[in-house]
Amino acid sequence: MNTKNNKPGKDMPAGQQAKNLDETMMFRVKTEEAASIAEILHGVYQALEEKGYQPINQIVGYLLSGDPAYITSHLNARNLIRKLDRDELLEELVKHYLATK
Amino acid sequence: MGGDKIIIEGGVPLKGTINVSGAKNAVLPVIVASLLSSTPCRIIDAPQLADVEVICQVLESLGAKTYWVGKDLYVDASEISHCEASDEIVQKMRASILVMGPLLARMGKVRVSQPGGCAIGTRPIDLHLKGFEAMGVQMSKEQGYVTAQTNGLRGARIYLDFPSVGATENLMMAAALAKGTTVIENAAEEPEIVDLANFINSMGGRIRGAGTKIIKIEGVSELTGCEHQVIPDRIEAGSYLMAAAITGGDLTLENVIGDHLKPVIAKLVEVGCQITEGDSTLHILAPQTLSAADIKTLPYPGFPTDMQAQYMALMTRAQGASVIAETVFENRFMHAEELRRMGADIRINGRSAVVEGPCRLQGAMVKATDLRAGAALVIAALAAEGHTEISNTYYIDRGYDNLAAKLQGVGARITRR
Repeated sequence: MNTKNNKPGKDMPAGQQAKNLDETMMFRVKTEEAASIAEILHGVYQALEEKGYQPINQIVGYLLSGDPAYITSHLNARNLIRKLDRDELLEELVKHYLATK
Repeated sequence: MGGDKIIIEGGVPLKGTINVSGAKNAVLPVIVASLLSSTPCRIIDAPQLADVEVICQVLESLGAKTYWVGKDLYVDASEISHCEASDEIVQKMRASILVMGPLLARMGKVRVSQPGGCAIGTRPIDLHLKGFEAMGVQMSKEQGYVTAQTNGLRGARIYLDFPSVGATENLMMAAALAKGTTVIENAAEEPEIVDLANFINSMGGRIRGAGTKIIKIEGVSELTGCEHQVIPDRIEAGSYLMAAAITGGDLTLENVIGDHLKPVIAKLVEVGCQITEGDSTLHILAPQTLSAADIKTLPYPGFPTDMQAQYMALMTRAQGASVIAETVFENRFMHAEELRRMGADIRINGRSAVVEGPCRLQGAMVKATDLRAGAALVIAALAAEGHTEISNTYYIDRGYDNLAAKLQGVGARITRR
């Protein structure tokens, strides 16, 4: 299979777009990504809470140190949070905080 | 735990799955930290290790109660009647000096035998004592014992000259019940520190920043019992990875945190192994021929000194020369002499060792000189021709939960006698 990191955009000719439809393409959809971060954070929060931890303290500990030991393996939370890059997670948190202030 | 000797017939590639136990270096401080709680704590699925039995005896000698229910260990320190860790206890297990922090916090007093040099180096406790002094503890030393007393621990700003794991743990435990805020700078960053912070926080503590160079602890007036499962043992996992690598194996480890093994995984990839990380699993596929690569031991997140001996065993079978630099302890090459008895070509020069590979390893009568040295001999024996007998296996039992049975389960010809 031919896999290309193509980003269809307005500067790409229509013919070119049609041709590329035969190939596997990777789309980077920002809103879905943000939703996924939110879902993961909520899932991790719930897992930590169910295990009796202070979720905010544990998530902050993870963000500071990068050590997955902060996050319980309950409900697959540890594996979920490791799917996100910490810098992207922090960026999203800061963006969200500033947008709601 | 089994007999006094481990007998191995080498030459079988390890294939299958091993479940990694809870970490020895995490469970010991967690058991000790249970002394901070006025109500019982439950440590879920605690590893069955000789060191766990010893630390439980230490706690019993202080008046606490410890008992097992299935695989879970309960510690009830609601009543503490003694404040002394005797010479016999400290000589038996150095980690018993960790009772200083909790006893100062709960009782305001502790008397411990000063540990002397141990097999791998001097390891002084000066950093622990300096930190306690900063928190308002008066010290006196006589006849090999340190007596520490306080009218009340107070928060302090403590800079550690070296990121000592033991000092970081001891001071964190004391600070958890101190008045005010303690900041430990240049703290150790090992995952076991994070696990201890998680445990204390589950008891109601307020520790921030564990796993980084700066740890902030706000003291609270009381801590109460909780349930806790310690992190997987990264050194046990690393040891089995080495065993798979040296035997040309195809092994999966379950219950691992791959991030804690980054330096070990990086080296195994460099020497030719394929490693695949899954959700809580690691799979290793070893090559027919290993390449040589150098290492230097460092505090976490560097290559762990606790994996140096096992890596040296691996390098005896690699193509070419490798240099192993030990920067953490000053006397941690005693396994080299035993590996030479099995046919290894190793030269020691100060804190560096040069391994010329590949060597033809042959079974021999060898002796474990410490815990990780014992693991290195097991790894070498798994790849050696013929029959190896390893004595002093109590060292291995200190830190490896059910080692022989786990290796048998993946095809090794290993027995206890």
